[in-house]
Amino acid sequence: MAFRWPRDARDAGLALVPQHDLLIGAASVGDNLAFLDPAAPFFESAAARRARVARLAKTFAFELGSADTRVDTLPVGTRQRIEIAGALASDPEVLILDEPTAVLSPDETAALFASLRTCAEAGGAVLLITHRLAEVFAGADRLTLLGRGKTVKTCRTSETTPEEIGGLLLAGADIHPSKHAARSAAQHPYENLVLTDFTPTGSQGKQISLSLSPGELLVLLAIDGNGADTIARAIAGLEPFEGDVALGGVRLPGRGDPLAFRAAGGAFVPADRREEGLVAALSILENLALPDPPGRLFLDRRAMLSHAEARLAALDVRASSAAAPAGSLSGGNQQKLVLARELAHAPRVLVAVHPTRGLDLASAAAVRHQILEACRMGAAALVVTADPDEAQLFGAPIRVVTRGRLSAPHAPATPVATLGRLMAGVTG
Amino acid sequence: MKREPFARRLAIVAVAFSVAAGALVVLALLAGASPVDALGALAEGAAGSRAALGETLARATTLVLTALGASLAFRAGVLNIGLEGQFLAGAVAAAAVGPLLSGAPLVARAALLAAAAAAGALWVLPAAWLEARRGVPEVLSTILLNLVAAAAVSGLVRGALQDPAGDYPQSRALAEAVRFAPLVAGSRATAAILIALALALLVALVLERTPLGLKLRATGLAPAAARAIGLPGARLRLLAFAASGALAGLAGGLEVVAVTGRLYDPFSAGAGYTGIAAALLGGSNPLAAAASAVLFAGLGAGSSAMQRDTGVPGALATIVPGVLVLAVLAARARQMGNEP
Repeated sequence: MAFRWPRDARDAGLALVPQHDLLIGAASVGDNLAFLDPAAPFFESAAARRARVARLAKTFAFELGSADTRVDTLPVGTRQRIEIAGALASDPEVLILDEPTAVLSPDETAALFASLRTCAEAGGAVLLITHRLAEVFAGADRLTLLGRGKTVKTCRTSETTPEEIGGLLLAGADIHPSKHAARSAAQHPYENLVLTDFTPTGSQGKQISLSLSPGELLVLLAIDGNGADTIARAIAGLEPFEGDVALGGVRLPGRGDPLAFRAAGGAFVPADRREEGLVAALSILENLALPDPPGRLFLDRRAMLSHAEARLAALDVRASSAAAPAGSLSGGNQQKLVLARELAHAPRVLVAVHPTRGLDLASAAAVRHQILEACRMGAAALVVTADPDEAQLFGAPIRVVTRGRLSAPHAPATPVATLGRLMAGVTG
Repeated sequence: MKREPFARRLAIVAVAFSVAAGALVVLALLAGASPVDALGALAEGAAGSRAALGETLARATTLVLTALGASLAFRAGVLNIGLEGQFLAGAVAAAAVGPLLSGAPLVARAALLAAAAAAGALWVLPAAWLEARRGVPEVLSTILLNLVAAAAVSGLVRGALQDPAGDYPQSRALAEAVRFAPLVAGSRATAAILIALALALLVALVLERTPLGLKLRATGLAPAAARAIGLPGARLRLLAFAASGALAGLAGGLEVVAVTGRLYDPFSAGAGYTGIAAALLGGSNPLAAAASAVLFAGLGAGSSAMQRDTGVPGALATIVPGVLVLAVLAARARQMGNEP
């Protein structure tokens, strides 16, 4: 069967939940869910739209937000939940989900898997693309392991073990960094990053005060929409803030000035590497030369090339050529390219938002390794993640962010279930 | 913007030209003339003689410069649709300053053209400021400034700038010594076309080969990434606005100094808009845009000859650039759509 339009696929009973949602930003939650519902009438009252949102939120145990909110004002996590709810509601015969849990809390993940099971038991086929072994073994009947575009193994989950698949997946990648790599006691006259009575403008959270020394790493763990990424973006100068941010003793202006953040030795890895991390249409070479391309009058191509070769080798970016557009790289290599640029000048502070989201295990391990390596060289790092397993792998203190508030630091060995409860705002 | 392989680009251009030629044939038939005669007269009028070629090059000067202004702005992500207004501002500056100058021609010309470029850059500033401070889309503000400029020209040639020696709505003529002489006798082409072509090379060089050009392109291609990476986006945009306006202003100045010798009303036959069309046809690549501008100038010059010799209305030839641009844009969109 060949589909000419996505609409044909939908009419044939196929639903897709893409990794990056395809909702219409300028339309409301209610409208988007109506668009996703093949049975929605052409004319529909606002009340009916609200009722649909409420019904779906209840059926699938998802927080979908208010039906009248514009989707582009919502965090990625909520948008992902809307996309999933819309797909499930259409009662598909075949449901394909691409990394659907990357931005969900543990409870929501459990609810999602219950819904997927219901869908399968009603006779539907569910195809789940994920890099999380636990999900495979908790939810799936059969698995196919892909590596570099080829099938490595395909079997029933009952015929194998997580250990065996994990071993095949990693094939040499080191995912457990030394717990002590992130500790370095170099003495500096100032702390690398100091926040004093800090809140992103418009945030309902409490004022934040914290400081990070050279070599120190802090993980902010939060479900999307709890303000952790806004905190990171405000530090990086991409959003305005109240209070004080100082990098190595240099105070940043509160109006939001990415240039001041950079000038004070800041480096930033944004959540959306395709929109904010890279200029996809420019070559790898040109991306690595930004923001200060070498050369006085003309671009110094030779300097650009030798710099690029050194950086690509240092981060093991696999590219056909440095002249290839950055957008032609795979996700993992794009993220490594962002890090190659950000870590080129030994930053004082590295702020990274979801640095390994959507990456395969080996790339994710490489990205974590580079962040820890930057700390070893004297950077202070602040990493935002929504994945408790990921948070633990940094071997650094974890602070959970709920509605803009930071929890007390937790040890990296804190059980995932405990972290999950903290993320969901369940106390005790 | 995606880079296309050369063969594909060639194919797009070939298809576009066939469509445009087809359109011209149909138009000639509609006008009741032989298409062969009409096309022959068009080619003859565009490049068939020294005078014809001179006419084409004289027309090309302004179009090349406005096409460069549009290309530079578009590459930096600035949608400057106000080249027409900036062109008029440059022409007004040249017409206002010109009659006052009589000294050494070289110095006088340099001063004149500098004034014209500055006027073009100044005319774009309100739009740049509104965009930076108030978020007003520059597409709207620059287009509205075009209307202001056209009205200002109309008022000035009947008021402050009117030639006291006559009743016509036109300014005083520039001294012959200040005006550009033809490059070769019997041709309207002057050194102005050389200035325009040199600037095409310069703009291409700046965009492709300098650190500034790379920053401008990055800002144009991905504004959000440019900001996050730490590029001074506001300053780069302002620079692109001003440089684009200066190129259009220079076009206006050269039109006065090299071609008309004075300002009158209506002064522009849409040089700013045709420049945008040429930039689109050239994919905002400065050299390709300049080549497109020369092509459009040839069509313009040839269409007058076509009307004279075969009776096919010259206005029909102005349909061709439009068809050409649409055909290229459609072909490009289709090629992009076919990509995986």
